[in-house]
This record gives sequence, C-alpha cells and structure tokens, in this order.
Amino acid sequence: MADKPVYEEASIDGQPPKLASIPASDTTVWADASPLLQAACAGLRDGELIHGDNFNLFAAMSALEIMDPKMDSGIVCTYYSIDEAIENGAAPIPISLDSTIDAAWHKGHSLAQTVFSCIYLLRLDRTAPHALLHSYCRIIRATCKAVVSVVSDARTHEEEDLFTMTYGLPLNGDGDDKCLSILNAVEETISRQLRACKATSSKRRLPEDLEPLQSKPNLEEGFCKALLCRLRFRKHFFHVLSCMKRPQGRGLESARKHIASCLTELESILKSADFLRSCFDESCEGDIDDKTTASGFEPIGFDAMLNSRLSAPTPPRAIKILSWKKAVEYFVKLLHDLDVICSYSLDPHLESLLRFVVQFQKSQPDLVARSYLQGVTHPNMERFTHQAVFLHQEDILNHVNIVEQLLLVQDGKLYGRDPFFAVINKAAALPEATKNHDIQKNESFLQLGMVIANFLNSNGVGNSSLPNKLVMNLLKILCTNAAWQRRKLGKFLQDWRVIYVQLELAFRNEYGEVSSSSNDENTCMKIFQHILLWVEEQTYWIAFRFLILGFELELYSTGEYCMVYWYLYAVLIKLSEKTHLMMAVSHDTAKRKGKKKKDSPKDLARESRIPPAVLFLQCYICLAEGLTMMLAALRNEIPVFHSPSPFNTEHEKFVQHFELLQRACIPDHVSYPSYKESTTHARLSTLAMYNYFKDAQRIAKEVKSSFSNDPERLAELRKLEQVAEHNSVAQNVICRLGALDPSLKVSFEFSHHPFFATVVVKRS
Amino acid sequence: MEAKPEEKAEFEEAEIEYVSYGGEHHLPLIMNLVDQELSEPYSIFTYRYFVYLWPQLSFLAFHKGKCVGTVVCKMGEHRNTIRGYIAMLVVIKPYRGRGIATELVTRSIRMMMESGCEECEYEFHPSNSFQLSLFIYADAHVFVHIVNRFFTILKLVVTLEAEVTNKGALALYGRLGFIRAKRLFHYYLNGVDAFRLKLLFPPPRQVL
Repeated sequence: MADKPVYEEASIDGQPPKLASIPASDTTVWADASPLLQAACAGLRDGELIHGDNFNLFAAMSALEIMDPKMDSGIVCTYYSIDEAIENGAAPIPISLDSTIDAAWHKGHSLAQTVFSCIYLLRLDRTAPHALLHSYCRIIRATCKAVVSVVSDARTHEEEDLFTMTYGLPLNGDGDDKCLSILNAVEETISRQLRACKATSSKRRLPEDLEPLQSKPNLEEGFCKALLCRLRFRKHFFHVLSCMKRPQGRGLESARKHIASCLTELESILKSADFLRSCFDESCEGDIDDKTTASGFEPIGFDAMLNSRLSAPTPPRAIKILSWKKAVEYFVKLLHDLDVICSYSLDPHLESLLRFVVQFQKSQPDLVARSYLQGVTHPNMERFTHQAVFLHQEDILNHVNIVEQLLLVQDGKLYGRDPFFAVINKAAALPEATKNHDIQKNESFLQLGMVIANFLNSNGVGNSSLPNKLVMNLLKILCTNAAWQRRKLGKFLQDWRVIYVQLELAFRNEYGEVSSSSNDENTCMKIFQHILLWVEEQTYWIAFRFLILGFELELYSTGEYCMVYWYLYAVLIKLSEKTHLMMAVSHDTAKRKGKKKKDSPKDLARESRIPPAVLFLQCYICLAEGLTMMLAALRNEIPVFHSPSPFNTEHEKFVQHFELLQRACIPDHVSYPSYKESTTHARLSTLAMYNYFKDAQRIAKEVKSSFSNDPERLAELRKLEQVAEHNSVAQNVICRLGALDPSLKVSFEFSHHPFFATVVVKRS
Repeated sequence: MEAKPEEKAEFEEAEIEYVSYGGEHHLPLIMNLVDQELSEPYSIFTYRYFVYLWPQLSFLAFHKGKCVGTVVCKMGEHRNTIRGYIAMLVVIKPYRGRGIATELVTRSIRMMMESGCEECEYEFHPSNSFQLSLFIYADAHVFVHIVNRFFTILKLVVTLEAEVTNKGALALYGRLGFIRAKRLFHYYLNGVDAFRLKLLFPPPRQVL
C-alpha cells in the first residue's frame, strides 16, 4: 500500500534497515515533528514518562531497554555481522568438522542460536570449494528443513513454537535436494582414501590424485575413519527422516534399517573420540565430558551470539549447548524413539493405538519424536476414517448409503476389520445385523441412518463426523508434551460430554424411552446404546488420564492427595464399569458370530468371570481407595496432616483441581459434599478393619497370568504389586502406632509407581 | 535456594517495617531487588505499570532503613471474577526463611480482598440509590443487565507463576492455600518450566 511506510526487511548481514521513500498521498503529508518533540521534552522532568491509556501490561512487557544485558539481544555479540566474523577469521576454510549442535536445537532452543550459530551454514556458498565441508553443511541444512516441516505439520508444538521459528535464516537453499548425491561422492572419495591409506601404510604415500585430509600421514587413516562415520551418520539420519515421511507408513521398514545404521555409525563416532583426542599433543583443559566436540577443542566457525539480534525484540534466551557426549546420547535416544514408532504394527484397533501412544509418551520422547509419532499415526487414522461413513456431505444426506457403510465393510464381511469400527471401536458390533444380509433394505436401519445424519447435520458437521474429529483430536493431544496435553484433555472432556448428551437426546427423540417390540428397532437401539457406551468409556479414560498426568507434572501437593485419590477412585469405578459392559457386548457379539455351539458349563463359568482388563482396573481402584482412606484417617487424626490455610479451605482446592471434570459432570453426582461424606469418618482404628492394599496385591498377583504375552502390562502389574505390598505393611504400622506415637513420620514417595504413592513410615 | 547459615542476617521479626508503595522514591528500591533476584528482565514501563495503577497492592519490607523485600501486584475483573495477580515477590537471601515474604504476600492479598469486597458491595448493594433508581425506572434491557449482575456471585482468585525449581516459593504459596493449577512448559527465558499457582477464595457473603 502506498500510504504505509515500507521498510526493507532487516537483512541478517547486520546492515540497518533502510527506509524507502514514501510519497505523500491525498490523505497524508510529510511534516517536521522536531519542534513538537522538543516542546514535549521541555515539559517533562528527568525520569518522567507519558502514559497512554492503551499502554497495557503486554505493551510494558514488550518494551526493551537498550543496553540492558538482560534485555538487549544486540549488545553481547563478539561480531556484529557474519561478514565481520569471517573477516576476522572466525570460520576458516578448509576446516575439519565436528558438530552435534542440532541436538541443542531439538532440546528446545532456537534454530538461530544453535544450528545457525555455525558461520559456514550462514554462508554456505563460501564452502563450495571444499567438497567435504560443503556436503556436510548441505545435509545439515536439509535435515533441519525436514525436521522443521515435520514438526510444523504435526502441530504438536503449541508451547514449543520457538522450535520452528526460522527468523529468516537461510534454511531453504537451492539444490539441497541433491545433498545426498554430493555427500555420496564425498563419502566415496574418503573411502578410497581410507583404502589407499591401508594399502600404502607401509610406504606412507598416497596415490597422486588424492589429497591428504591433514598434514600428518600417520594420522590419515584415523581421520578418514572419523570423518566417514560422521558423514554416514548424517546420510542415514536424513534417510530415516525421509522414509518416515512416506505416506501410509510405507517407508517404516526401510527407516528401521537406516536407524540401525545410524546407531552403528554413532558407535563408531564415539570410538573415534579417543583417536581425535590423542591426535593433539597438548592436552586440553577441563573435563572432556563437558566439551562440545569429540576432540575436546573449541569448535571452529561457531558463534552462538551472532544471531542473537535476529530473535529481537525478545530478550536473549539463555541457551545450553549440549556437550558432545550428551549430544550423541541424545541422538541414540531419539533414534530409539523413532524405532519404536517405526515398529508399531499400525493396528487399526483404536484401543491398542491409544495404549501405544500413552506407552510411548512414558519414555518422555522429545518434540521431534512426538511429531513423527503423530506423522505416522495420524494419516493412518485418516486412512481408516476416510472410508468411514460420515466423510462426505452427500453420504450423510443419503441415508441408505450411511446404513450400508455403517454396517458393511468393503469385502462384504460384516464387522471384520471395518475401518469405521476400528475408530468408533466395537461400538456397533451387533449380532443380529451379522446375520441379516438384507439389512440395508430394512426400514429401521434407514431410520437409524437418518437419526445419525440429522445429528451430524445439526452439529454443523460438514466434511468429517464429530466422533471422528474427536478421536483424531484425542490422538493429536496425546502426542503433545505432558503439560499442554493435560490442559487440552481437561477442556476436551467437555466436547465428549456434549456429544454424549446430544447423541442421547437424538436417540431418545427417535425411539422414546422404552423399546418397542420390533426386533429391528431393538437392533437399532442396541447400536445406539453401544455407541453411547463407547463414548462414555472414552470420556472416563480421558478423565483418568487427565488426573494421572497431574502426578507426572507434580501439580498435587501431599495435602491434596486425599481428594485426588478419591476422585481417581470415582473415575476408575466408572471406567471399569463401562469397560466391563463394552467387553460383555463384544463377547456377546463374538459368541453369536461364531457357529452356535451348545453352551458348555465351562463356557458359562468363563462368562461369569471378570475379564482381566477389568480386573486390572480393579487393582487400580483398590489402590486408590486404600490411599484415600489412609490419607483421610491421617488427616482426621494427626494434626500435621491437617494444616488449614488462612484464606480458603479444602473445598476451594477441590473446586479448582476438579473444575473441568465437575463442569462436564464426570462422573455424575460426584461433588465436594460426597467427598467429605466418604472421608470424614475415616479413623486409624477403622482403617485396620479393611486393608484395600491386600486386595490390590491379590488381584495383581492373580491377573498377571492373563497378561503373559503383554510385557508392558505385566511390568505395570509388578509395580502395582510392589506398591500394594509396601502400603499394606505401612498401613498396619500406622494403625498400630499412629495415634499413640507422635514421633511417627509418614511421607509419600513415587518410587515404585508414577501415580500410586508408596507410603513411607519412619520414626523421627 | 536457601542461603547458607553464615549469610543469614541477625534480626528480630519486630524490627522489620512494612510499608505500602509510597511514590517514585520507592521505585529504584523495588527495581534493584527484582533485578538482583529474579531471572526475568522487566523494563521500567513494567514496574510503572504496576505501581502507578495499583500502588496500594505493592509493599516494601525495611530493616533499619534497608529495603530487604518487596511485592508487586495488580488486580482486575474479568468474566465475573476478580483476579488478583502477584507479579513479583522478592526477599534478599540473608533475610529469607523468617516469614517476610509471607507477610508481604498476605498484606497484598488482604488488600485485594478488601478492594474486591468493596467492589462487590458497590455493584450489588441494593441500598445504593443509583442502582435502586435503575431498578425502578430502567428500561427492560438495563433491568436485565442489573438483575444479571445482581445474581452473579463474583469470585476472587489470585494467581501467579513460579519456577518449578523454586521450592521455597512453592512451599510458601502452598501454605497460603494456593494450588498448582497448571504447568507451563519452558515458560521462562532461562528455559525452566513454571507452575501457575491459584488461590480461590470462598464465595463472598451475598448482600441482599
């Protein structure tokens, strides 16, 4: 626009931005403001400021004080421009390279202050005459670009937006797509050199066309090896990233091979450190573990402060460059995390997918790994939801289609591995329908389709159904960092509650409270009930996760454990109830689906048994209940555990901690008064009457055999058993001595399990 | 971090004098303390924003004329909630562990409660003739508005952020009834996570 001041973009070479001439227009005119400013200055005394009403906290916080070292990013540079740095010999060419600075970037520091503190990367063209340096820089830049794109696409970095900020850095270079071929050529040359070294080691001479990498012939072989493993690592790492990006998980197999190669090269890199250190006669000062290079020498060509002005107008962030050793460790962990993602079977079963994601998060993968996790799982979700019912508006309107697709899969089999049901779980697995091949012509089913279609339309759902969206969002949230995840899950519960209420309403309107006698209508009702049940189960699962993430994030203080375990108990009861019902429905379906056999007494016995997955939850329930009652008894009888605060009571803390759950009525009829009611009467004497921990211990022991093929749950059960055993003993001690012995100290540790505390009793 | 015993100052609690922000001469004292002890940088504008708009919520602690601690706060109303915010709290190392910070924060919170309640009374008290007249003569729109205001119970919440590693501050606020409502990933410029701490007050008595 003509009347808007136009500034040339501040270039990174340190030149001040130039003001382009702005012509006066019909509505604007140039005027000299100096007299006005002088008059204003004359009217103010030293230290006075003019305050405008629109000058708010944000504006105040955004203001920077020039020359304040905490705020002014510009004053602490060694060099003020890249050119100045180069002229001063900060980045000589040629140079031996050795950098793992991108690990610091992955760890959450800005690109400008980490990878691009490398002067060579900022002026990549300068390195062109030196093939080795050039190829290395190119692949680094291409790798950065690939990682930025995956993280941006996954959008799992809401709180880590620093990661993808490129501040106009030269990330997009022409010809970086050829970086692999350049690298391969260099690798080939060095391999030849290495072979030549070995062949001519007795003669100590190289063939004419090969130029030695450095000046000491006896070190040549070691240098070649050290360089080769670094180049190969970079090459394979780049391959890993590209393979993992291939659609529908097609590249995962090959990605795993490259991951294995990367790990091998990293080992060689580690081994090369001794050689590199021994090359230099003078020993370097300080602990080698803190150094950022393998040789222990200061890296050449890096200046972390060079780009600090790029991040203005934010104050300078303190950055910690990982030591060389830590950086290698970081890559090993990242590669292992990526390997876990690649080895996932892409099981379209939602439950196992969710469990996989949660399990994966336990190893605390960083942003890069989490983005790839989402990159792999999310399109996969799309794949099976794409075929699902609700994708197209026209399908929604065409209810015949809906019913056909809702109940049938492509190959004509019913409820086999139907993609839709993989997402909406076993919700619609109905026995009657399996037998009825004419189902799509059935009037009641058409009606059901209409109800769902109306429901979706009334929700303004255009391209994708609400349940699908909810599931996709859930998956996305589960891939984010724990802090963000918890906040999102809390708000997300509301959405699940709303869809439940709306579905229920739609269902009631259509079928009324009481089922009619028609068989088909019964079937429709069952489908609906199963969907409702499934939505409820998911809701409680999310609530459970929301609560336990609070432990991981250390959001609860000891004084609040009682109410947290009580709430956890209430949610778990509901979750196990819904899970049990869902399993009963699936079991029922599976049984009817199979050839009708005479029910043997053995079958009946098995049916009456509680499924292991539910027993697993019951073990949780016992632990939560045991801890609640013990904490309540301690609070009620020992003054130390009851410390009132001056401004509010336990009630306000309860309201704050569970506000989001309460707002969504999760679970129904659970409130502060009901918490009070169930815990006020707990006493140390009554505690002795029932030991919930013993129950937990017994269940954990019993149910272990059912999970012999599931190492993850087996490990969890072992932990639960340990906590239960410890707490059972602790409870006995507290009951015996608690009220009598004032020197008894009770504390809570998470030494055995991440969210079930181990009770520790000591005498002070 | 806890100060080493030899760095501890010798003093009686009664020797500490607490004063409300008294004007421009207090500003350099506050700025010095905050600049020394807190990791985040604040511009002069930020200090002025707080102390000019809410001078009654900022306090300084003096020991024999030397400023040893300060608290800087703000408050405002948003969505039927009166929100207090503790922006900065500092006690210099040799004076820590003796309840000075608790006293500073408590004074600010009490001021917030008082001004919060005044606001409630002004808004809701039917004896306020201005509001009464509105009740009687107002057109439908204003009437609905007033009735809504009348029946909305204002909540009072005080919030702040603290570094997850600052055990001393976390314990202090925990004793005062704050809960850790959220964890904020890499919140500070030094890369440390923060807890958002919140103190919810019991609902004020409805004045009818």
